[in-house]
Amino acid sequence: MPRVVLGHNQFFGVDHLSSQRGAERAAYFADVRNVLTVIRLAHHAGATGLMLSTHPRAIAICDALRKDEELRANLQIVPLLPYAQKYVTKANEVGMVRAVTGTLSDASMRDRLGLGVDFARTVLRRDPIDMVRALIRLELRMFRRLPVSVVFLHDAISDLLLSLGAPRVFDVYRRTLQKRFGATAGVATKNLPLLLDRFATWGLETPAVLTHVNKVGFHVNPSLREHEQCLRDESLQIMAMGTLASGYLKPIEAADYVREFSSIRSVVVGMSSPTHIIETFRAFLPRQKLIR
Amino acid sequence: MTRLRGAVIGFGKLGLLHAGLINGLQESQLAAVVETSPLIRRVIHQHFPHVAVHDSVLSLIAAGGFDLAVIATPTGSHIDLATALVERNIPVLIEKPLSLSAAQAHPLCEALERRWVPNMVGYVGRYIDSFRQAKRLLSENVLGPIRMIRSSMYIEQLLKPGEGWRYDPKVSGGGVLITQNSHVIDKLRWLFGEIANVSGQTNRVVSSQVEDHAHAYFRFSSGAAGYLDASWSARHYRTPTISIHAQGDNGTLDVTDDEVRLFLDTPQAGHKAGWTQWRTPDLYEPVPLDIGGTQYSRQMADFLTAVRNNTAVESDVASALRTQEAIDAIYASASQGGGNVSIST
Repeated sequence: MPRVVLGHNQFFGVDHLSSQRGAERAAYFADVRNVLTVIRLAHHAGATGLMLSTHPRAIAICDALRKDEELRANLQIVPLLPYAQKYVTKANEVGMVRAVTGTLSDASMRDRLGLGVDFARTVLRRDPIDMVRALIRLELRMFRRLPVSVVFLHDAISDLLLSLGAPRVFDVYRRTLQKRFGATAGVATKNLPLLLDRFATWGLETPAVLTHVNKVGFHVNPSLREHEQCLRDESLQIMAMGTLASGYLKPIEAADYVREFSSIRSVVVGMSSPTHIIETFRAFLPRQKLIR
Repeated sequence: MTRLRGAVIGFGKLGLLHAGLINGLQESQLAAVVETSPLIRRVIHQHFPHVAVHDSVLSLIAAGGFDLAVIATPTGSHIDLATALVERNIPVLIEKPLSLSAAQAHPLCEALERRWVPNMVGYVGRYIDSFRQAKRLLSENVLGPIRMIRSSMYIEQLLKPGEGWRYDPKVSGGGVLITQNSHVIDKLRWLFGEIANVSGQTNRVVSSQVEDHAHAYFRFSSGAAGYLDASWSARHYRTPTISIHAQGDNGTLDVTDDEVRLFLDTPQAGHKAGWTQWRTPDLYEPVPLDIGGTQYSRQMADFLTAVRNNTAVESDVASALRTQEAIDAIYASASQGGGNVSIST
């Protein structure tokens, strides 16, 4: 996993502390040049990775990255799969089934040829596992010819699958990523102890995990104490998100807290202004104890 | 303690969420699903063999084997389904809004009068941290008498005509007012008390059969007065964005999903004079299982407790009926060009 990863929320208008600030940033970052400026700054400040949700706007960002040799050579892309709001909006209109089958049927001819998947047949056969495989490949197509070593499944999906108990889907996800992309199949969660318990019960290998890590326990369940206990397990591979609790904590105090846990191999931090980028990376970078 | 067995009727987005909570929480488990889509039935059958799958509520009722039901179908079908379940003594959690109109809901209310069972309507906004904090502050009467209220809900959902049942008033009851703003009206009633009369205007811009914009003026029984401004065709709002502002004799209160801001002229009930702000990290309380937001988990926990103890919840059918009456009154006013419409008490 890349050690320090630039987050993507600001680019797509996601702001868990202020929807209004989110909307303003989304308007600014509608121009992909502004996105690239921030990515370059973050890279020069020490970022070795960039998280990107499979948001429609990420396509233009990926196109720009492919044209930039320096960034392409030095920045790992960490896809977050899928951009859940895209399916929620579609499902509001046409229901869940058509949100999924429609996405597959609407895949452009170029996408279909490029992937060698017969989407029409997949939709017709209505085999759910085939559909999952096809969706993964379709969603990840935008990252072609970019360096990707780990992908994370969005917590909106994974926490649902954990609760319902769907080990087969996690297994298909892991195999598809390994076989088609040579990438590690990570899982995002807001319920870390539950994830570890379920994977152990199912006899599945513990995946790389993307989860919130902050001392105020924001988005941490079922309790900060149980979550911290899991984070002390050195065998885990954790990418920490939400370390600043959406800008609530100062970078220095956030980084000091993250350093307490040996399982944390990587940190993803979102940012927008140049001063914020420099301040955040200064806090997370210099003491290599954080990341081994 | 045996786990309560839940049935979920309608396996769409919210049905899926409720099914996840019922199955993931320790005190309950998913026992049955009713769904009309053969593909979804097949997925459930393949992946969750312990869950009974039915294509109708009649078949579910005939098979039995469940202690509570969640109804997450399109609005128009809520009342028939809930009435059938209540008549068989099954506690129900009905997704919001309750019904197409207050009149449509009467058979359910009568069934509950004959044979009461725990019942809830999914006004989940009451369980969002910031609105819970606002409720605490108002319960402490920090603002004194409330004089003026302003509220809004915006989302960029529809910039061209939409597809599906939400845009068919026979199935949805209407547009942005009943669909998303039933949440706001429920919150206004919960926070500030009952609404005595309304006048409203609605506007179709994108949709041909339902309103895309709604504007309403309220007079509350307490004497407070205020507005609601709502649109699902509002640019720059990625997700539904609700905002409520209140002016009282002692100060002001602003609530959104993200924060609570209180201003007081003088200290009240342990709160200092001037501005106090609570942001989501200040208010966050963990839950046993978070899928799609802690509010859904807290709502389900309240429902399960009510089922276990045979007790009532705050957001029940009787309360949701009052929200429905306010919605009906706004539509009635809008159809008469915006005149004043009283809500019977």
